[in-house]
Amino acid sequence: MTDEQRDPEPIIEVRGVSRRFGSTQALDGASLSLYPGEVHALIGENGAGKSTLIKVMTGVEQPDTGELVVDGQPRSIASALDAQALGIVAIYQEPMVFPDLSVAENVFISHRDRGRIVNRGQMQRDSKAVFQRLGVELDIEQPARGLTVAEQQTVEIAKALSLNARVLIMDEPTSSLSANETRRLFRIVESLRQSGVAVLFISHRMDEVFEIADRITILRDGRWIRTARRGELARDVAIRDMVGRDVGDFFKRSRHEPGPVVLEVRDLGLSGVFDGISFAVRAGEVLGFAGLVGARRTDVGLALFGVAPANSGTIEIDGKPVRIASPNHAMRHGIAYATEDRHGFGLVLPLSIAANLSLPSLSRYTGPAGLLKRADEAATAREYRDRLSIRTASIESPAGSLSGGNQQKVMLGKWLNTNPRVLILDEPTRGIDVGAKADVHRIIDDLAKAGMAVILISSDLPEVLNMSDRVLVMREGRQTAVFGHEAATAEAVLAAAMGEAGATAA
Amino acid sequence: MTAGPVSIVTSRVRPEQVREASLVVIIALLIVFFATQIDGYLSGTTFTRISASFAIVAVLAVGQTLVVLTRNVDLSVGSIVGLIAYGVGTLLGSFQDLPPVLVIGLCLVLGGVLGAINGVIVSWGRVPAIVTTLGTLAIFRVLLVELSGSKTVTTESLPTWVVDLPRVDLLTIGTLDIRPLVVIALAVAVVFQLGLRYLPFGRRLFAIGSNPDGAQLVGMPVKRDVFLAFTLSGALAGLAGFMFLSRFGNITVAAGLGLELQAVAAVVVGGVNIFGGIGSIGGAVLGAFLIDLLSQSLTRMEAVSEFTRDALLGLLILLAVASDSVILARLRAGWQSARAREMARRETEGAVVG
Repeated sequence: MTDEQRDPEPIIEVRGVSRRFGSTQALDGASLSLYPGEVHALIGENGAGKSTLIKVMTGVEQPDTGELVVDGQPRSIASALDAQALGIVAIYQEPMVFPDLSVAENVFISHRDRGRIVNRGQMQRDSKAVFQRLGVELDIEQPARGLTVAEQQTVEIAKALSLNARVLIMDEPTSSLSANETRRLFRIVESLRQSGVAVLFISHRMDEVFEIADRITILRDGRWIRTARRGELARDVAIRDMVGRDVGDFFKRSRHEPGPVVLEVRDLGLSGVFDGISFAVRAGEVLGFAGLVGARRTDVGLALFGVAPANSGTIEIDGKPVRIASPNHAMRHGIAYATEDRHGFGLVLPLSIAANLSLPSLSRYTGPAGLLKRADEAATAREYRDRLSIRTASIESPAGSLSGGNQQKVMLGKWLNTNPRVLILDEPTRGIDVGAKADVHRIIDDLAKAGMAVILISSDLPEVLNMSDRVLVMREGRQTAVFGHEAATAEAVLAAAMGEAGATAA
Repeated sequence: MTAGPVSIVTSRVRPEQVREASLVVIIALLIVFFATQIDGYLSGTTFTRISASFAIVAVLAVGQTLVVLTRNVDLSVGSIVGLIAYGVGTLLGSFQDLPPVLVIGLCLVLGGVLGAINGVIVSWGRVPAIVTTLGTLAIFRVLLVELSGSKTVTTESLPTWVVDLPRVDLLTIGTLDIRPLVVIALAVAVVFQLGLRYLPFGRRLFAIGSNPDGAQLVGMPVKRDVFLAFTLSGALAGLAGFMFLSRFGNITVAAGLGLELQAVAAVVVGGVNIFGGIGSIGGAVLGAFLIDLLSQSLTRMEAVSEFTRDALLGLLILLAVASDSVILARLRAGWQSARAREMARRETEGAVVG
C-alpha cells in the first residue's frame, strides 16, 4: 500500500504516554500511530516498554500521562471491553482458548450482543465465513483441545475479526511457530492488511520484522526513539537504536584470574526446548546468560538443576561426568538454582525467614534425636541477615512480610546455605528496587571472589554485560555466541540475541 | 531505642496466633452465654460430658490437620473409625485376654494401613484427595457392612477394661472429672504439635502445602510426605476407632458415620487453611472443642431443635472459612504495614545514630 492510498487518519494514536510502576518508568512519553491497512512492527530490547504499551492500548493499564486518540477523538480506554468496543484486540504468544469448547464456540465466546439463546446454526455459518476470509481450513466443530498453537492463534484472530477488530495487536505471535506455520500466519496477516486492518506486530526476530512490516517503531527505556518505513531503516541502525540504555551507576566488578573449571557442559539439549548448549564455568567466574525473553535460558538452568533434565549432551563437574535427573542430584553435586519465580518456586511465604533459609538443607539442622535444632537455625538466619543485609525486624517474621528485594535475598541465602560450588541465578534483580539490586550485585561479586562459579541469567542487558566475566548468548533455544568481557558490547550481544548475521562465537 | 506498643505486639504476635486467641475468646463468651441460658450449666458435669465426645473428634482433627496442611483432605476417617471399632470390637469379643497395649497398637496399625491406601492413591495415583477419600469413605463403609453381616458388637461382649475406660476418674476437680479419653486426645495433640514444630517432617508439611512446586525444587520428598500424612491420619483414625468402641460399646454398621465432617469442621474452624500451609494442632483442637461445646450445649437448650443445631454448626463453619480469607487477610495487611512503619522508623533512627 502506498502513501497516496493511505487513509489520512490513523485509527489509533498513542500520544506521549507515560506509565510508572514503583521505581520503574515503564513508559516515558511513548508515541505510536496505526493506520488502516498497515503492518506496523514494534521493536525494542527486554524492558523497553513494548508490553506496557500494548497494555495501555488494550485498557489493561491506564497511562499516568498522555492520551489515546481513536478516530481523531481522545478516548480513555478503561478496560479490555472498552478496547474491544473500539475495535482494538490483542492476541498473545500463548493463545487463550477454551480447550473443551469447539472452534466455533471459541470464536463467538465473547459475543454479548446475540441474545441469551445461542443460535448454533448462525454461529456456525458465521465462523465458517470468518475462516474463509482468513483463507484457513479448520473443522469448526472440533474441540479446541487438539489444536496446534498456530491453529489456536488462528482461532484468536478469527475471534478478533468476528468482533470487527480494526486494530489487531500480535505480541510475539511467531515465537512458538515452525517456519511453515509462520509463513501461513504471514499470509493471514497479508489478508488482514488488504482488508484494512491495522496490525501491530511485536517480534524479536529481525528477519520477520523486515519482511512483513510497512513501518517500524523502536522503543528504548519506555521512550519513542524512531519510526521509519521499512526501506528507510538499516538493520544495524535499528540495533544501535535499541541498545544504549541508561544504566546509571553500576556496580564495579573486581576482576581477577578465575580458577579451574568446575562445571562443563557439552552439547546439552532437551527435545523441542533447547539444543547444542556447550560451555564451561570456572571457579570464581561469572558466566552471563544473555538473550531476549523466550530464548530458553531458564530452561537450561532448570535442566542443570534437574527440574526438567536434559535428554542429550553431557554435564561434567570437576572433569567427571555426572547425571542430574532431580534437584537432589544437582544439590549433591553442589549446584544451586535461585529461581526467577520467587513466589511459585522460590519461597514458602507463610513460613519464617529462618525456616526458609534452612529449607533445602534441613538435614544439617536435624539433631541426633531427629529433632530440628532451632537454635542453630536461628544462628544461621542471623548470619545471613547480616551478610546479605536482609532488612527485617525479626528472623521469625514470615517471608511473605518482606519486600521483593529482601525476599530475593532470603532466596539467595537459602541456596548459599547449601554451600554450592555452582550457583545459578535466574533474574536475581527482576522487580526489586535499586538499593536491593546494588546489594545483590555486591553479593554476586563477593561470591565470585570467594571462588564460587556463578551462572547469571538476566534479561537486563546492562546487568549481564557489567557483572559477567564472559557472556553466552542464546536465541530460541540455541547458543549463538560466547563473548569475553571486552568483546561483549551491547550491540554485539543484542545482534547475537536477535540472530543477526555477523555475530559469531568467539 | 524504645519500641512502641505496636512494635511489641507485632514482633511477638503473628496474625495466626490472633486467630487462636480469638477462638479462646469465642469459647469463653459462649460459655458465659450458655451459663445464662441453661440452669446448672457451670458445673464440672457439663464439661466432663463435653470432654467425652470432644476427645474422639480432637484426635481425628489432629490427623486431619496433617493432611489439610499439605493441601489435601481426608474424608475417609469416619469410615475408618467405624471399621476399626467394629473389627477390633469383634476381635475382643473372641479374645477377651488381649493385652491393652496390643489392642491399641493394632488399632493404630490397621488404621495406618487404611490411611496408607489413601496415601498411595493420592501421591502416586495422582487422584485428587477429595475424590480418593470420598471413594474410600464408601468402600471402607461397605467393607464394614459386609464384614459385620449387619450384626452388632455389644457392650456385653467386650472385656471390662475397654468398657470401663471412659468412666475411670483419673483426677477429680470439684465435679469435673478428668478421664482417660481426654487425656489420650490431649497427649496426641501435644505430641503432634511438638512434632510439627521440631521435626523436619513437620516443617516439610507446611512447605508442601504452601508451595508444592517450591518444595519439589528444594528436593523434598513431596510424594512420600503426603503419603505419610495420610498414613498418620489413618492411624489416628484407628486410635479414634478404639476410643469410639470404648465409649459406646455397642457398634453398629453406622458407627462413626459423619465424623469426617466434624473433623474437617474442627480443623477449618480452628484456623487451618483449607488450601494448605497454614495452621496448628492447637487451633484444630480448639476448633474441635468449640464445635462440641456448641452441639452439646445447644442440645440442652429446649428452644433449639436438632435441625437448628445443625444449621448453626454449618453457619459456624462458613463463618470460619470466610473469616479465614477476609479477616485474616486484613489482619495480615495491618500487621505488615505496622511492621513496615516500624522498620522505616528504625532505619531513620539508625541513620541518625550512624
